Amino acid sequence: MKKRIQISLAIATALAITLTGCSSSDDAAENTFTIAYQGPLSGGEASTGTDEQNAVKYAIELFMEANPEYTIELVSVDDQGDPAVASTVAPGTAANEKILGIVGPAYSGATIASLPFYKDGGLVMISPSATRVSITDPATPDFGGPVFHRVVGKDDKQGPALAKYATDGVANAKVFVVDDQSSYAVPLREYVEAGLKSVAGASLVGGDSVINTATDYAPTIAKIKTSGANVVIYTGYYSAAAIFVKQLRDSGSKAVFAGGDGVFNQEFPKLAGAAAEDSRITGVGGLAGISADLEADFQEKMGVSSGVYSVESFDAANILLEGIKAGNTTRETMLAWVKAYEGTSVSGNTIKFDENGDISYGLFAGFTTKDGVLVNTGIIK
Amino acid sequence: MFEVLIDQFWSLTLAGISLGFIYVLVSLGYTMVYGVLRMINFANSEIFMWGTFGTIITSRDIFGYTQTSAPATGGKLALVLISQLIMSMAVAGLTAIFVEYVAYRRLRAKGTNRLATLISAIGISIVLSELMRLLTDSRPVGSPRVLEKIILTEVWGANIRLDTIVTIFAAALIYFLLERFVQLSRMGKAIRAVSMNEDAAKLMGVNLNRVITTTFLVGGLATGAAAFFYITVFEYSKFNIGFTMGMAAFTAAVLGGIGNIRGAFYGGLFLGLLEVYASAVLGTQWKAVTVFIVLVLVLLFKPNGLFGEAVQTTRA
Repeated sequence: MKKRIQISLAIATALAITLTGCSSSDDAAENTFTIAYQGPLSGGEASTGTDEQNAVKYAIELFMEANPEYTIELVSVDDQGDPAVASTVAPGTAANEKILGIVGPAYSGATIASLPFYKDGGLVMISPSATRVSITDPATPDFGGPVFHRVVGKDDKQGPALAKYATDGVANAKVFVVDDQSSYAVPLREYVEAGLKSVAGASLVGGDSVINTATDYAPTIAKIKTSGANVVIYTGYYSAAAIFVKQLRDSGSKAVFAGGDGVFNQEFPKLAGAAAEDSRITGVGGLAGISADLEADFQEKMGVSSGVYSVESFDAANILLEGIKAGNTTRETMLAWVKAYEGTSVSGNTIKFDENGDISYGLFAGFTTKDGVLVNTGIIK
Repeated sequence: MFEVLIDQFWSLTLAGISLGFIYVLVSLGYTMVYGVLRMINFANSEIFMWGTFGTIITSRDIFGYTQTSAPATGGKLALVLISQLIMSMAVAGLTAIFVEYVAYRRLRAKGTNRLATLISAIGISIVLSELMRLLTDSRPVGSPRVLEKIILTEVWGANIRLDTIVTIFAAALIYFLLERFVQLSRMGKAIRAVSMNEDAAKLMGVNLNRVITTTFLVGGLATGAAAFFYITVFEYSKFNIGFTMGMAAFTAAVLGGIGNIRGAFYGGLFLGLLEVYASAVLGTQWKAVTVFIVLVLVLLFKPNGLFGEAVQTTRA
């Protein structure tokens, strides 16, 4: 048995050497370039990473269709959305000199853990979904410059938008805010609470912090009832939000339920069923929200519907692909390309990064659940 | 600080008791196996998780319920609920027997030390949870609502909900039946005999392997029943829910005195109530801290748990 493994390994190695040998002499190989996607591709958060990576793959497929002379390879870097895992996979990614740029990492914590390696390697990053404010704040140790960029709005824009959207049309809004103790939800909760101050007539009546693996929200609901809140804002992720909103409705509460982009996932109404109706979620429009044709084409090519952050992931991949087409085939020139980039997002917005890696827009749209589907109600102004 | 507890005392208490009964049944899975083998069945958390999927598949795929379909009523309701319960118990029971065969039996026959079986149990629990992760694409799975959560009546400001009542009474009944089985049946006596003295039991003609398999089966059935109640109340499952539940149930078992069936009962209820009260008074972020401080304090004064080894006769 052992011997057989050894033999097959030897054959595989030999084949690999021959193949790389062949391809380097091939003409097409000169136009073969590699980019990477980093995000959670396994573990509890894998659905986010899979959705994002599908959009990256879709962008690559469209690019190769339009530019048949290029071959683009994608390296999948699985950080499970976990900073501890990210710090073990990032060194290898940074050391792989073929990789010209990274779409990702998906999550803020994993981004911060990966940053030292990518800074050293001069590897440009464009995250579709890392929204933590400190990553683009030069005054903090988390600062990701010059390599870090993102095509998603920051939480300091999302918090006030969420506060406004959640309380919209609610007379004498009494707001109760719940986070899930994650490094995404806790700061977002602070931005929501800060944003509430500028909403006329709204007041903060309480809050709670429930770990995202919890399934029993009875104590939190007891607090909500005691506080007399008529608006409940949850700043964590969709799967826990679904459990929470079900229990909230089962307890007889009619308070408005609102959530941030962590809840923004079509799985949310699927999991929560009728309890999710009329929930108010801030999020970013998906491909389907931009054009039904685009979504249909995506489904045909990828075999699944486009998921969360598909627009952002698609945009991020396109920036790198356009860079390759413009002849930026070293990490150095690619970084300069991204820094100077000015182009149009598939959403119609103009993408241009400021000196810290943020985009100029980052407007959040309001979504509400109607008949089990999250429906875009337009940009929150 | 205490206004929530005072204001919502009975709601919290009911929620704590129904959560507690779920803990009771899962901790039976730990305590039964520990009582007989003196080993922790680390795979019990994943047995629970598989049970929850058994429950969901029954309502969703066999009876065709969806997230939008109306809850069942009358005879259909009883039929679906009982099928779900049986399915969940069957899935969990069979998984438990599978775990025993794969992770324990052979190593035991070879006379390996306890650490080897500990690792093989952890190994199989990883296999079980990763397998479910692959089968479900890491996504959470919602359960269609079968039992409508009607508010039956209001007592002292607390809503008495149908699912809470069903959980409390049905779980208590299942606990009672299992406890009677261990106390009174011939096999139950054999289980207790092995638990007290393995060698003596063997000399008296007790079939050790059959006793151990039955112990795993009974633990698995209890855990499966818990999985059914869990789905009825929370309507949600995911490949990784076992860990939190397993941790809580194991804590409950240790609190009550691991290896002791009655200990699991009081430990589970105590933990359920402690969790909701602590969350209400101190904030949910203090739940785990409070629970473990209490656990350490209890163990400091009663090292074998609240009921510990003192109650030899009730031991599994």
